[in-house]
Formats: sequence, C-alpha cells, structure tokens
Amino acid sequence: MSKQFLDYLLRVRLPLVLFVVAASFSITYFVSRAERDGVGYSPAQPIIFSHLLHAGTMKIDCQYCHTGVESSRHAVIPAASTCMNCHSVARKDRPEIIKLTKFYKEGTPIPWKRIHKVPDYAYFNHSVHINKGIQCVSCHGDIAQMEVVGQMNSFVMSACLDCHRNAQAKLPYLKQVKNGPDNCWACHR
Amino acid sequence: MANQDFSQNEKPEANYWRSFEELYADQKTLEAKKHEFLEGVTNDFNIEKNLSGLSRRKFIALLSASAALAGAGCSDYRDKGEVIPYNVKPEEVIPGKPNYYASTCNGCAQNCGIVIKTREGRPIKIDGNTDHPINKGKICAKGEASILNLYDPSRLQFPLIKQGGIFEKASWGSIDSQIKNSLDSASGSEIAVVTHRFNSPTTKKMFEEFQIKYPSAKIYAYDVYHNEIKNSAWKKCYGGDVFPLIKWDEANIILSLEGDFLGVEGNVVEQMRLFSDRKNVNDVKSFNRLYVAEGNMSLTGMNADYRFRLRPDNQLAFVLSLLNELITKKNISSPAVDANIKNIIPSFSLKEFASQNGIEYKKLSHLVDDLAANRGSAIVYGGRALNEQTQIAVNLLNEVLGNTKTYRPDAVDISKSVYSSNEELKNLVSSMNSGKVKAVIHFDTNPVYHLPQDLQYEKALGKVPMVITLSESENETAYASNYVLPISHTLESWGDYNVRTGVYSLQQPVISPIYNTRQKEAILLNLISDNPQNYSEKLYLDYLKKSWQENIFPKLSSPFTFEKFWIGALHDGVITTKEEAPQSPRSGVSKFPSLWEELGMGLISHKKVAGFTVMITESYRLGDGRYANNGWLQELPHPVSKVTWDNYAAISERSAKVLGVKNNDLVEIKVGNKKVSIPVILQPGVADNFISVETGFGRKNSGVVAQEAGVNVQPFYALSENSNSPWMVTNASVSKVSGSYKVISTQDHQNFDDALTKNAHLKRDIIQEGTVLQYLKDPDFLHKNKEHHLPNMYDDFAYNDVKWGMSIDLNRCLGCGNCIAACNVENNIPVVGKDQVEKGREMMWLRIDRYYSGTPEEPKPAVQPMLCQHCDQAPCENVCPVAATQHSPDGLNQMVYNRCVGTRYCSNNCPFKVRRFNFYNFRDHFANGYYLQDSVSLMHNPEVTVRSRGVMEKCSFCIQRIMEAREEAIRVNQPLKGSDVRTACQNSCGTEAIKFGNIKDPKEEFYQYRNHKLGYYVLEELNVKPNVTYLAKLRNTHSEEV
Repeated sequence: MSKQFLDYLLRVRLPLVLFVVAASFSITYFVSRAERDGVGYSPAQPIIFSHLLHAGTMKIDCQYCHTGVESSRHAVIPAASTCMNCHSVARKDRPEIIKLTKFYKEGTPIPWKRIHKVPDYAYFNHSVHINKGIQCVSCHGDIAQMEVVGQMNSFVMSACLDCHRNAQAKLPYLKQVKNGPDNCWACHR
Repeated sequence: MANQDFSQNEKPEANYWRSFEELYADQKTLEAKKHEFLEGVTNDFNIEKNLSGLSRRKFIALLSASAALAGAGCSDYRDKGEVIPYNVKPEEVIPGKPNYYASTCNGCAQNCGIVIKTREGRPIKIDGNTDHPINKGKICAKGEASILNLYDPSRLQFPLIKQGGIFEKASWGSIDSQIKNSLDSASGSEIAVVTHRFNSPTTKKMFEEFQIKYPSAKIYAYDVYHNEIKNSAWKKCYGGDVFPLIKWDEANIILSLEGDFLGVEGNVVEQMRLFSDRKNVNDVKSFNRLYVAEGNMSLTGMNADYRFRLRPDNQLAFVLSLLNELITKKNISSPAVDANIKNIIPSFSLKEFASQNGIEYKKLSHLVDDLAANRGSAIVYGGRALNEQTQIAVNLLNEVLGNTKTYRPDAVDISKSVYSSNEELKNLVSSMNSGKVKAVIHFDTNPVYHLPQDLQYEKALGKVPMVITLSESENETAYASNYVLPISHTLESWGDYNVRTGVYSLQQPVISPIYNTRQKEAILLNLISDNPQNYSEKLYLDYLKKSWQENIFPKLSSPFTFEKFWIGALHDGVITTKEEAPQSPRSGVSKFPSLWEELGMGLISHKKVAGFTVMITESYRLGDGRYANNGWLQELPHPVSKVTWDNYAAISERSAKVLGVKNNDLVEIKVGNKKVSIPVILQPGVADNFISVETGFGRKNSGVVAQEAGVNVQPFYALSENSNSPWMVTNASVSKVSGSYKVISTQDHQNFDDALTKNAHLKRDIIQEGTVLQYLKDPDFLHKNKEHHLPNMYDDFAYNDVKWGMSIDLNRCLGCGNCIAACNVENNIPVVGKDQVEKGREMMWLRIDRYYSGTPEEPKPAVQPMLCQHCDQAPCENVCPVAATQHSPDGLNQMVYNRCVGTRYCSNNCPFKVRRFNFYNFRDHFANGYYLQDSVSLMHNPEVTVRSRGVMEKCSFCIQRIMEAREEAIRVNQPLKGSDVRTACQNSCGTEAIKFGNIKDPKEEFYQYRNHKLGYYVLEELNVKPNVTYLAKLRNTHSEEV
C-alpha cells in the first residue's frame, strides 16, 4: 500500500467515516428517543372508543368510569358492566355498541390494548397522585381531546423524577405542592 | 484498637457457645468461621463444569442466531400487551386493593380464628383474627405457612380410581354412583369412617345423619397427639370430662413437668400470650417464674428460669418427692391427703432424688419455697406424655397447694368427637381382617402412617373391598386405597367450629376450588343425599346455614333475622354465646386416697431406670406429619437445634460418649421387633440415657418436598396399654451403626468471629442479660462501664419526618419462629432446599439466633431474632459499587433489586450477617422448578418483587406495608403515624415481643420501648446506630448474678 493512500485513509476517510457513524447514531438516538419511550404510541383498540366524545364533548369526569383510582395503585380500566350502565339504553344500535354488548353478554372481557406501562420493578401508585390533587392530564396529556388515546409523555424514571424534584414548576396549578419523594423505596421494592 | 476494646470488657467467667464444636474449639469450625461464606459456597460455579459442551464459537453463533431471530420477530416492538378488565366487576373488588375475610384455620384441632388477605381473588396471606376470643389475632407458624398447601403443585386435582393396581383419572359422577351402590349394598356389614378429632357441630350432625342412612356405619376418631391421659386422670380425680384450662397469666410460679405448653401442647397461641403477659418489662416485679423439668430441651425449657434435666420416667418420683417436701417438711395440710398418703410419701426424699438425678438441691429448694409461698397462685403442669399415675400425683400436688384456683372455671375445651379406644381400633382391624368391613372411608386422615404398627392396619386394609381416602394430597393411605377423592383446602371450604364453651367460629371459602375438588363434608353429604348426581357447590353451605339456623341462632336471642345475623357472623368470623361451662366438680378431693391405693402408688420406689428411654414428640413444624410437603415449614429451623429438613435423635453429650457417636452418626434404636436407624445430634441439656425424636418426617409417597426429609419414627408410637404413655418406650436398645447422615442446621452459619474473639457474643454485647433482682437494684446496670462509640466518618443523616424503628423484647421472645414463617409469606421468600441450606444459602430475612451459656449439662439458652438493623451509618451502603443499597429519609436501609449486580460486597461488610444472596433463581433450582409452577405464582404477594438470580436481598421493614400506610395517610389527609404500620413479623408474634413505630414520636407506645433502660444495640461499639433495639433478657432467678 502506498504511503499516500494510507495517508488519505487515515486523514480523510477515517475521520469522515467516524463522523458519519457518530452523527447518525446521535441523531437517531435523540430523534427516536420519544418513540423508544413509547411516546405517540396509539394502537387500534378492539372497540373504537372515543375519549374526545365522552370526556371532551360530554365532559364526563374521568373518575366516573375509572373508579378506584383514588384508593388503588391502578387507574382501573372500567369493566364492560360499567359501560353497560349507560349503553344498555344509550345508542344501542351503533356498531361499536353492538360489539360491546356482545362482549358483555358472552361474558368475555374486552381485550383493550395496553398503552401506558411502568416496568414491573416500579410500584407506581395512582391514588397518592390523585389524592394530592394532581390532574390526570399532567401525565396522560389532554385525553379529552383524543379520538384515539395514545401515550403523550415518557414514562421513564427521569420523567418521574423531573416532576418529583420540581413539583412547583411542573404543577403550577397546585399552590401547596411539595416535591415528591426521590428515595429508591418510594417506587422500587 | 478493636482488640483493646474487647479486652476492656473481658469477662473471664463468660462462656457462651453455640455448638459443641465451638465449645471445644474444633479447629475445622474455627477455621470455617474466618470465612465470610461457608466452604464450597461457590463450588458449583465452575464455569467449565456448568457450561460444558458449549464452546465460545458456538456461543457466539447461538447469540447471533437468536439476535437475528429476535430482530425478525420484533415487528411490533411497542406492543405492551393487553389490559384485561373484569367483564362484570365484583362490587367488593378494587384491583390493587386487598380484601380481608374472616375464617377459621383447620390446620390442627385448635381451630384458631384467622383473617385471610386476598388480592384480586387470590389468598396471599393468613393472619390471626383479632376478634377471636381465644387466639386474639395470632396464629402459629404452621398456620402462617399453610397458605402454601393451597397452591401446592402436588395437590390432588381430580378423583382417582385404582384399577389393576394403577390409579386412573375418574369423574365425580361415576365415583359417586360406584361408592353409593357399594354402600347401599353393605346391608349390615360395617362401614368404617376414620377421622381426626373434629370440633364442628355441623360435621357432627352430618356424621349422625350418615349413620342414620347407613346404620352399620361407625365413626372412629384418632390423633397421634392428644390429651387423653391427662383427661382420664382428671376424670378419675374429679369426675368431669376434660382437664380444665389454666389461667397462665395468673400463675406467679409455673412448674412444667415434661410439658411443652409453649411449643406443641394445647392451644399454644393462647398459652404463649397468657404466659408472656407476665413478662412486661414495664412491670418487672410481676414477672412470673418458670421451672421446667424435662428430658429433652424443648421450646418451653429454653424459656425456663430454672431447668432441671430429668428423664420422663423419673417424673413420678419427682412429684412424690415434692409432695413429701411440701406436706411433711412444710406442713401443708389438705383434705386430699390422708394418713395413708402421709405414711407413704416420706420414703421419697427430695435430697436423695436430687443427688440420684444429678440435680442441684439448692435449685430444688428454691422451687419448694416458691411453691409453698405462692399457694393458690402457682400451677404445676404435667405434660400430656406423662403416664396416668404421674398425672394424678400432679393433680394432688396442685390440690395440696390450692392451685386449683388457677384452673379456669368459665370455659373448657370442647370436642365434638370421641377418640376411639384401643379396643375399638383393635376390633376394627380384626373385623377388617375377617372381611366384616365393607368399606373404609378415611376422612382426611392418614392412618397407614399414623396408627401404631402393632395394629397392622395397612395389611388389614387389603382385606376391605372398598377403601376410600379423602385427601388434599397423596399420602401413604391414599396409595393403599381404591378410591382417592381430592378434597378442598381450608381456604376453599365452608365450616364451623366450637372449640370452647360459647365460642363458635365460621370458616368460609375465599377462593373457589382451584382444582376439581369437593370439600370433605360435602362428599359424604352428597352420598347420603337423594340424588348424588345433582351435586352443587352450595350443598354444604346450605346444610351449614340450616344447622346454624336451627341450633346456634336460637341460643343468641338475636334481634336480627337469621340472614342478617349470618352475614354479620361471616363478617366477624366468630360469635360468642353466653353458655355456662360444665362445672368441673371439685368434690373429688376425697378421692385421692382411694386412687392412691388403686394405682399402687405405695409400691413405687426410687428404682434406678435402666436402658435408654425413647420419646417421640410432635414436630414443631410439621405437626403429626400433615405439613411434611410444605417447603417453608421443612426449611423453618427447629426452634432449639436450628436443624432444617430433618429429624434426628437428640442425645446428651455423655450418652453420646458412651455410645461412641458424634453429630450425624447413625444409631439404631431397637424396641422389640421395631428398628429405626437415625442420625444423632448432641443436644445440650438432654437427660442421660434418653433420646427424643420428632415424628412427622420420613413420609413416603407424599409429594416431592416431603420425600427424603428425615426418618420415620412413627413405629415407636404404641397403643397405650395400662394408661402408659404411647409416646414413650423404655428399655430401648441403642447402638451405633456404621455410616452417617448429614443433618443440616443453620446455627453455625453467619458466624463472624474467629479464635481471637472467642466469646465475642458476650464481650461484644450481642446478647446482654441480667436478672430481675439485679435490675430492681440498679435499673441502669446494663449501661454501666460501657465505653463505646468509634468516631464517625460520615455526617449524620437528616431525618425530617417519620423515622422507623423496631424494638425486640428478649424477655417476651420465646424463639418459636412464627415471625420467620410470617416474613416468608409476606415477602415471597423462596425455599432453597437442604443442599443449599448446607452451603449457608438459606434466604430467610429473619433468623433467630440461639446461644447457650453454662455447661452442656445445664445450658442456659438465649434467643435473639436477627434481621436487618437498618443502621443509620450502614456499612453496607458505603461499599456498594452501583449504589444499589442506599439510605432513605425515613431511616430505612433500602435495597434496590433492579440496580444490584451481585457483587456481595454489602454482605461482606454487614456486621450482622443479615443479607441474603440469590445464588440461583431458587424457585427454579429447588426440586426441578417445583415452586416455579403456575399455581405457586398465584400465592406471591404482588406488592413485593419476586427476586431472581444474582441479586442481594434483606429485610425491608415491610416497606410495602409502610407504603400502604403512607398512601392511606395521604388519602385521608392525615399525618402518617408510626402505629399505622405493623410489620409481618410483629403481627405474627404471639407474645408481642416485636414493636414497630416512629422513633421520633414520644407520644407513641413504641417510644418507651425504644428508649427503655433495658434497651441496647447489638455491636454497639461499631457505632453503626442500628434502628433495632433489643431489650435485655432478665432471668427471674433468686440471685443477682446471671
């Protein structure tokens, strides 16, 4: 190999290749960050349920259906029977309600696609956040404007801590709010 | 510097030891102690061995292939699965919130009230029912761990019929009709139903109706361990039926003769509570004093203030000598003693007795003085294994001393069944042999294993055309049956119990039967119903309700309708009625002289008993063997010897020398034609020429866990002839046989001291104790002349809010191990297996250390529960390279599993040796993934991570309970109080030795224990500032010296 060629390789080619690799890696890393964290994930559901209609237009309170969120760890996906409280009368003829009624009558639970998930080793508790006055939209985004629900915020540890450590800034509507705990066993045990 | 510290505290007379190896400075043991882990702990991590056959090239090939495959399969990597809600949500269930149901434990004949915690319909924890008047919120270790039996993968899942010697799956319908046809055609030939003692009024009614339908049916009841000898002695003395209950909390002086009332005899849960009521450190003057005379070191003996080593066959002479001393020398007169008795007893001299049995006379004279001084407020308790003569002598002793006042007049133990006499059992077997028995129904019993070998029960079963066994899991009797019917677990069954005058408790199912099982009462009830093919799950419930409506409801004159009352009773789990106890007649006082004659008491002399006496005792963990397939209980260390997974012959050091055996050597015990080879453990404090063995082990065909655990010594259980004890055999010949069998004990694990720091337990004040007199004279005695406190390298943490702490009162702690069982269930602790315990890898977060002081003959045991001390300056926190263990602002030492990489540095640096490392995924590793099966995962507490291989873990002060209390406090917008949290161990402690709370809140009860004068920290001089305080044990002896 000629010296000139080697010189070219080391001086021009190598740095160029390294630059392209590093640049594309970092661009991909940051651009895909949200996607990797699940932000924007809005899968098709077995029943086309519109939060925009129920929570937005009709202004039904979240906890009217998601009962138990004020006392439990889980926000509780409503049972089919909860839907049927209204829909045994309301809009019985619509195709989606016919689907719902079928699920209900057959006794099969509705296989909703999961959107939000914290890892198994984190013991997130909805009730403490609700009881401190934190609004659902602060983490879940403006559900009332979503035709199809998707994930709006990242659910990684830094996202939790971001709020736990700067509660006043992140939750301006809560005047008295104090920072949340940031010790390990607050979530991991 | 450290060494200088120890020498300042040198107490030359101190002599604490844990094992004979340690006492005699066995080189191997001392060498082993220098190491953090036991030898061989990492042996099977030999890479070449474990990964044999997999070359680096192949590994990389597989890796890339699987990566490619995973990549190809990753079409929808964002898919997070589904969330499945209820179709119709049950009203009472909120996902994520536990529900609690009151019920009754059916694990033994005591039938304690329980509360079952369920999550999303799965029972996950059993606690005592605080409303229950007898057990008052506490249960035993067996009850705690019995939840594992519900999910045991080896439970019977469908009915079986034996055809051509092979069991085949069958349907309930065909079985019902086959059995019914056979029973209907019995016409006169006997149908035998074999049951244990039962306390259920409705079961009794069901049996009565069964007998009406099948007049040739006979009910036989047996138990391996019972109080029949005590009861019959009582009957002879006073009339009445059963030995009365005792006001343990009102006895200043308790003398227990071979009676393990804190361990296995009677309602242990209640007795523990009443006994420890008199161990209140805030009222030291009221401490009771416990004298124990026994052959083997029992749990009760461990807690004695004075303990006498005495063979059970010498107990009668002991009682008579005491009588002599009290009547003749102390001039205590009683109408129960006539001239005849007065003439006989002087031949029993206590002094002579003491010298013959090697007992210090001074201690005995303390006992005599105490008994004489506390007449009417003391109790002499004869263990159930003593023969009738001794029981009668004990009754007389109590009568003479006026201790009859200590018997409870208001309530007695009630049983709805009557034990079959020896004759009845013999007749049963002979009619079985002569073909007069058409069918035998084993009502959740295992007589092939339990009944005395002399009966030849198993052989006789072969002559019975129809043998039906109702059982939860396979066992010896099931194998000898034609029909094996799976029955529901306690938590899947209905029931009622009436164990004591006026106390009725209900049992309700908290989960529908997991498998195709029926509850045992319903099976028989269905057979006598008009149409057995119409079985419904509600069959027994309807029957039970009807029975209550007719029999129990009217007793209450309740203002409610029955339906309302029923819902209330189910909610509370227990109701009490105002029933009068059958008055125990006291007219028997004059009977003693004639009884005396009848029993030939005068003929008994101080004869020296020759040969070995062998006694079988109920296992602390397995009961009569019914818990043998429960891994948690097999692994729970024996409260005295700390042996797990095995039984053993406990023998004194001197007898072992005579026999020429050491620990783990096999001996053969021979009585008549019965022979058993069993390993020996040298147990301090055992009488010479005496062997004590636990039964319940050595089960055959009884599941994977029970397999190969221990030796079956049930053959030594005998029919009790002439009112002798069925659990004791005299004149046994014992000899060494070749070979040995390694018995594993946890007691020498977690040693950290070496030869340089011998007796460090005392010098470093791990165990601190004093006497009541010493404390009364100087309450500060514990903290005098102590100079501790190394300088601190780190700044103190700021604790702004609550700071958690625990105090453990060593005066109340008996060392029973209930807390360990409760912790295991609450915190998803795996079973590791005998081979892993041998390597020191047991995973229990809480252990109970046991130390002896004194000599091997007269040891003084001390117990100490040891768990993570949650130090303020925790040595583990500083050494973790990945910050997986950290300090929390509420004073907890946090362990974060998902950060841990398994360096084990923390464990190495922990002075208390309380950290546990997952050398394997133990659920997978134990018995080929036995506890990894689906049914077991239903049991896990969903609030606690199930740890996998390679992470460190330790006591978390039940962080999940702390968080639950915190969430509730936020919900109701109240500040969190220390008393809002009760840890699992605290909840289960039958003596309330464990207190938990907020160190910083002076208004709380916990505060006074945290700051008690008897309080001390273990290894205080290290200045790690533990948040666990121990209250030093005060022995209630007659001297100020320990």
